[in-house]
Amino acid sequence: MSLIDRITVELGAQEPWPKDVKLFQPYDVEQILLPDNANCLAVQAFLKMCHLEFQLELRANAESMSPTLKVPFIKAGRFVTAELEGIVQFVNGKGISLTDKLDANQKADMRAYMSLLHSVIEVAELYICWVDKETYNEVTSIRNGSIYPWPLNHIQNVIKRHQVIKKLKALSWYNKTLEEVFQEVENCCEALSIRLDGKIYFFVDGPTELDALVFGHLFTILTTPLPRSDLANIVRKYPQLINLVKRIEDEYFKKQIKN
Amino acid sequence: MGTVHAKAEQSLTEAPDFGSKNLPRDHAEPHTFKEIDLEAVRARVDRINVDGLARTKNDIVEDCIKELFKAKDFQDVLIKAHRARVKLDELGCFKNISVFIDTSKGDKATPDGLEVTFNVKEFTRLTGGVSTQVGNNEGALLIGMRAPNIFGRGERVQVEYSHGSKRTSNFNLSFIKPFRGSHRPTFTTSVFQSQSEWPSSGYKQLERGLLLDLGFYSTPFLKHNLQWEANIRDLSALSRTTSFEVREQSGLSLKSALKHILSFDLRDDLIFPSAGSLFQVTTEVAGIGGNVGFLKNDFFLQGNYALIEDVVIQGCLSAGLRWRTGTFLGGPLSVRGFEQRGIGPHSDGDALGATAHWSAGLHLFTPLPFRPGRGGFGELFRTHFFVNAGNVGNFRMSKDSDLIETLKANMRLSYGLGVALRLGNMARLEVNYCFPYSFDKGDQTHAGVQFGIGVQFL
Repeated sequence: MSLIDRITVELGAQEPWPKDVKLFQPYDVEQILLPDNANCLAVQAFLKMCHLEFQLELRANAESMSPTLKVPFIKAGRFVTAELEGIVQFVNGKGISLTDKLDANQKADMRAYMSLLHSVIEVAELYICWVDKETYNEVTSIRNGSIYPWPLNHIQNVIKRHQVIKKLKALSWYNKTLEEVFQEVENCCEALSIRLDGKIYFFVDGPTELDALVFGHLFTILTTPLPRSDLANIVRKYPQLINLVKRIEDEYFKKQIKN
Repeated sequence: MGTVHAKAEQSLTEAPDFGSKNLPRDHAEPHTFKEIDLEAVRARVDRINVDGLARTKNDIVEDCIKELFKAKDFQDVLIKAHRARVKLDELGCFKNISVFIDTSKGDKATPDGLEVTFNVKEFTRLTGGVSTQVGNNEGALLIGMRAPNIFGRGERVQVEYSHGSKRTSNFNLSFIKPFRGSHRPTFTTSVFQSQSEWPSSGYKQLERGLLLDLGFYSTPFLKHNLQWEANIRDLSALSRTTSFEVREQSGLSLKSALKHILSFDLRDDLIFPSAGSLFQVTTEVAGIGGNVGFLKNDFFLQGNYALIEDVVIQGCLSAGLRWRTGTFLGGPLSVRGFEQRGIGPHSDGDALGATAHWSAGLHLFTPLPFRPGRGGFGELFRTHFFVNAGNVGNFRMSKDSDLIETLKANMRLSYGLGVALRLGNMARLEVNYCFPYSFDKGDQTHAGVQFGIGVQFL
């Protein structure tokens, strides 16, 4: 975390949660991709768990507007903060935390699982979207290019695909077969399911950012229609995780609609 | 221009008087000069030789020189030879051109016959160099390569890369093809990439694009440029503190625009003109394809008038109108005494742009006091007094309001003095002490010493 970020968080902390907080993300119907949608949903879930008010703003260029060039990001007063980790820190700075009651061990545990989600589920989502030919041609290229005029849409697709593939190569995921990717996802879900162990949330005291992140990814995987439904089928093998997703949806998202 | 030599036989020397001043004459007989009217000396060009042509094709050279055959008298020959030389120079194929005029000899020589010889030296196939360049208030290192006259008809390819002191970098590859014809059309196509940072607006941008340009003259001095430009612009916020209004604009956009530049330049010098005026009108329409649509209109007028020798009054007027894009004002090249883009609406210190602007300047250029280095080094400098005025805003026209009143309301004014320096034959450097006189609350003024380098100043 850079010095500027620290100062931003410090300064922001002096003010209470402003009324005009806005969460910026790409258009969810025609533009957003699986991994981005998962991250946006995770942040939404986290803010709702903290009972913080925010307005959703959909912008085609949300990604380039973000200070880290990743979605989502929030604007509170003059401050902009991006991604779940940054936003959690920003919220903590206001004296609001979901992890107050956890001891050091549990916190470390939570962080470990969060990084597992980032390094397995998120990467697998990227793999499916950009490397799997069928998904890329039928979904990713169309949605990613939808905000640009011809011929910029094709150019952008090629550039973005190149970037993602470079990242996957660095993580040595690019040479994996689909089966290997699915196996990784299955292992991750297995681990999460074991950790949940029949509890309502991952930790006894209530929902944490880990629950928000799991919800974000699994809900998106379950509800996004893709040419390949293998990922959703893997998640469906773990009823405990499905229950968690349903519970969070009922608790934090359905209520809003009723009101 | 180069030297025009004239050699003639004794019978002819009595007629023209161009050489007579150099002839040693006896002071006792100063009145033996003959006043000769060059137009009265009949002459006819029998032959034209062009020496030194290697890969340049004959037809384009013929186009340049054939007018010379129509000359009827000796003055005509001199003028037409000079014009031919300028035309040959404009081809961009020759490094050096010299002209010799001689009486024609041989069997086919006519009594009034002359023989004109052009000695030309062609450019080498590939030239290149490293140089420094100034413009837009920053210095830049320029690396360039040029392949002149590749197919023998003045076509050239050039590559340029420049890296500026303010983190801008530019790359440009262009192909230029001059055509034959009375309107002197030139076709240029280029691909470019330019990267620039605008701390005053809190963003940086990367542009990649393609430009097609057709330049021609409709009258000898009225130049038109018709351009089509397609570019992809990637705009991003410069820092976390960039205002949100600027941040909202970030992202990629594709611009496809048609542009027309009309210019009429009668100045006697680019940097410190003492007479003549420049008039330039630019119109740009974007939105033929792509996702950027706007209309830009700009107009610039400069007039120069010499009060006495070397004391020149210069008046400038510039105005711009925008639809769906922004314009900026202020800075050492426009209204001095303000920060770059310092006039007009700002958000968190970042300039936002407005729909229209006008600015005017009245300058007095004089030689340095007591004229040190007169006729030499001192001629690079001028003392500079100025008054600048301007306004920028979203002017709304309604039936009740007077146009002049609307434009005058909240007018910015600054004045000052300084020293201007000529840099080569393309740029001017100014160091001024500025006094902002009237300004708005939101403006960023720059009182005191201000430094400006550029090509076109207000």
